[in-house]
Amino acid sequence: MNTIVLTVVLPLLAAFVVPALSRVSPLLGRLLGPLTLAYAILLTLQIWLGMEGKPYSVALGGFQPPLGINFYVDQLSLLFTFLTLVTSLLLWPWRNETEPRQYALTLLLAASACGLALSGDLFNIYVFYELISVASFGLAAATRSGASFAASLRYLILSGLGSVLALCGIAIVYLQSGTLNLAQLSQLAPETLNTPLGMSAFALILLGVGVKGELFPVNSWVPEVYAAASSRVSGLLAGLVSKLAVLVIVRLLVLLFQQESALQLMLILGLLGTISGELAAWRAKDMNRMLAFSSIGQLGVIFIAFSIPGETGLFAGLALSLHHLLVKPALFLLAERWRGSLAGLRGAGLASPVAGGMFVLLALSLVGMPPLPGFWAKFLLFTGLAAQQSVIYQVALGVVLLSIVIEANYLFRVVMNLFQPAGDNSVAVTSDHGWLNLGTTFLLSALLIAGMLFMGPLGAWLEEVAIQAADPVLYFDTVFSVSAIH
Amino acid sequence: MRNLAALVFVGGLAFLLLVIFNQFDFAQAPMIVGQGILTDAPDRVGAANIVTAVVLGYRGIDTLGEISILFAASVAAGLVLGRRRTDVRRDPPGGFILRSGVALLFPLMLVVGFYIILHGHLTPGGGFQGGVILAAAFFLPLLARPETPVNHAGLSIVEGGAGAVFILTGLAALLQGGEFLQPLLDNGVLGELVSAGTLPLLYLAVGLKVGAELAGLMARLADVEVDEP
Repeated sequence: MNTIVLTVVLPLLAAFVVPALSRVSPLLGRLLGPLTLAYAILLTLQIWLGMEGKPYSVALGGFQPPLGINFYVDQLSLLFTFLTLVTSLLLWPWRNETEPRQYALTLLLAASACGLALSGDLFNIYVFYELISVASFGLAAATRSGASFAASLRYLILSGLGSVLALCGIAIVYLQSGTLNLAQLSQLAPETLNTPLGMSAFALILLGVGVKGELFPVNSWVPEVYAAASSRVSGLLAGLVSKLAVLVIVRLLVLLFQQESALQLMLILGLLGTISGELAAWRAKDMNRMLAFSSIGQLGVIFIAFSIPGETGLFAGLALSLHHLLVKPALFLLAERWRGSLAGLRGAGLASPVAGGMFVLLALSLVGMPPLPGFWAKFLLFTGLAAQQSVIYQVALGVVLLSIVIEANYLFRVVMNLFQPAGDNSVAVTSDHGWLNLGTTFLLSALLIAGMLFMGPLGAWLEEVAIQAADPVLYFDTVFSVSAIH
Repeated sequence: MRNLAALVFVGGLAFLLLVIFNQFDFAQAPMIVGQGILTDAPDRVGAANIVTAVVLGYRGIDTLGEISILFAASVAAGLVLGRRRTDVRRDPPGGFILRSGVALLFPLMLVVGFYIILHGHLTPGGGFQGGVILAAAFFLPLLARPETPVNHAGLSIVEGGAGAVFILTGLAALLQGGEFLQPLLDNGVLGELVSAGTLPLLYLAVGLKVGAELAGLMARLADVEVDEP
């Protein structure tokens, strides 16, 4: 069972070796990354089937927590490890044969994302978060255009500020409680962190980690980076990295900061993000910018969902996250050939009906059209919000409804544009999507349809994951019963 | 106006942090983990330098993450700066004093660098610090003779090899039925050069990796095209 650490370590090993290996044998260099990821996926599935739903903890280096670092393996962390590996394999930069460096960065991103999902130590989480940041700076700048350099620089500065804030928050937690182990913290938190200082630590970590999670005041890097980076990198950042940042915050909320004010802070920032993101997307004139802003809006909705207390919030938030993780990268891949002004897209859907059709499907699910999974996720959010007594949750319900209207308006405007006959004044539209992008999008759309067909069992299983993750006592017992045996 | 807004923001943030930090009673912090490691480490890990026991033992996976961060930074820098037109003029070679000074300093710095790396488990220092000195040693000749080509292929092999050694040492423990990065070999006598099991080997890998990465990074920065006068 302790082989779960391989999902982090093997991609790291492959990343270290890839640049040198590519000099010796380009073919091996090209194959090493995908093979490593595929093996790690198999390993994750094997562990998942072997654990029979019971969480366990791995003490790295044989040093028992709280002195050493542990990986906490439950259904939630395995789910995100699996999703990380699959998404990085799907969005692998196949085209860049000449750049083994991009392979190395993608592998580093995958490894650190797995580490982030699994780690049970606050500072270890920070280290992996930094690794994700540095790898994504490189990937964002990889297109080597002036715009991508400018965007990455802005991203780097904001991300650096966020890291410092998060580190301050972690330092406060350590100063107050004397440990960094999440399980031990979950036991100490009620007496040591239930103070204004504890709240300030949460606010600092929320803002710091929120940079990657596209949280409201620290998301100004999003539109530029997604407009300038390649669509595969945008898909990785918007789909995967943002969800892992949210996952870290959710773990901390469940284990460390059970105060109501922490949830309300996140709810308010989520509300502001939803409103600002959707309005900006509505006004956007360019495809990638529109998708970037709408991603900010949807992440805001995800933050709103996770701020509902208890399992309900986790369940709804998880459903929304999974849905967004599936749909957003697909939309970015479709947008690859539709870059540039939205007005110039007249007739693009008629020129390539398959791509146009998939865009319609994904857009419908994003808005929340009934039989599609997007509807189901939003429905969970609505019932969760409506069950809360507090006024602010009712306001949130209204805001989410409003955001759906705005979202529907701008997405359908694009769809209308796509299927209008091209006028004389429209720019020549490239209909060639490349079989690779089209194939990946097709796969993601097929998964979406499969999700719709198997909604019942999928929902029941996801609820089970949420219930398991929402239990701080289980977390503590799992980590410390293991150390008692040894 | 922008500057004013930035000033207000920075001032506000500084004030906020000051208020927060004013709340602590420093030197009174609870020492749950700290005390635990101080009592547990000498027998368990066998490193005279307890910092090393923490860096490579208790928090070994953090160290792996940190060298990966450095690797990611150097790869990203290579991606951004890695192309140079061949016809661009390079800086002229340094003078006699610089060249002789470098010839004198180079072996000295190598010795000091390796000394610090290999004594990392005994005295303050270790892979990161020694690695930086190694990188500086290899950067000096480049300052004296800017026209010498940098062997980036060799550097990337050292980099990858050292990283692989670190991870493979960890995997060897996993194969023997332990946990990843569990210290192997005998602890030996506390304070001797050959002690603390595999820790010195890990630090050597860290040192070589850090050295190769920083040397490559500095060479890339020095190699950026100069604007024609």
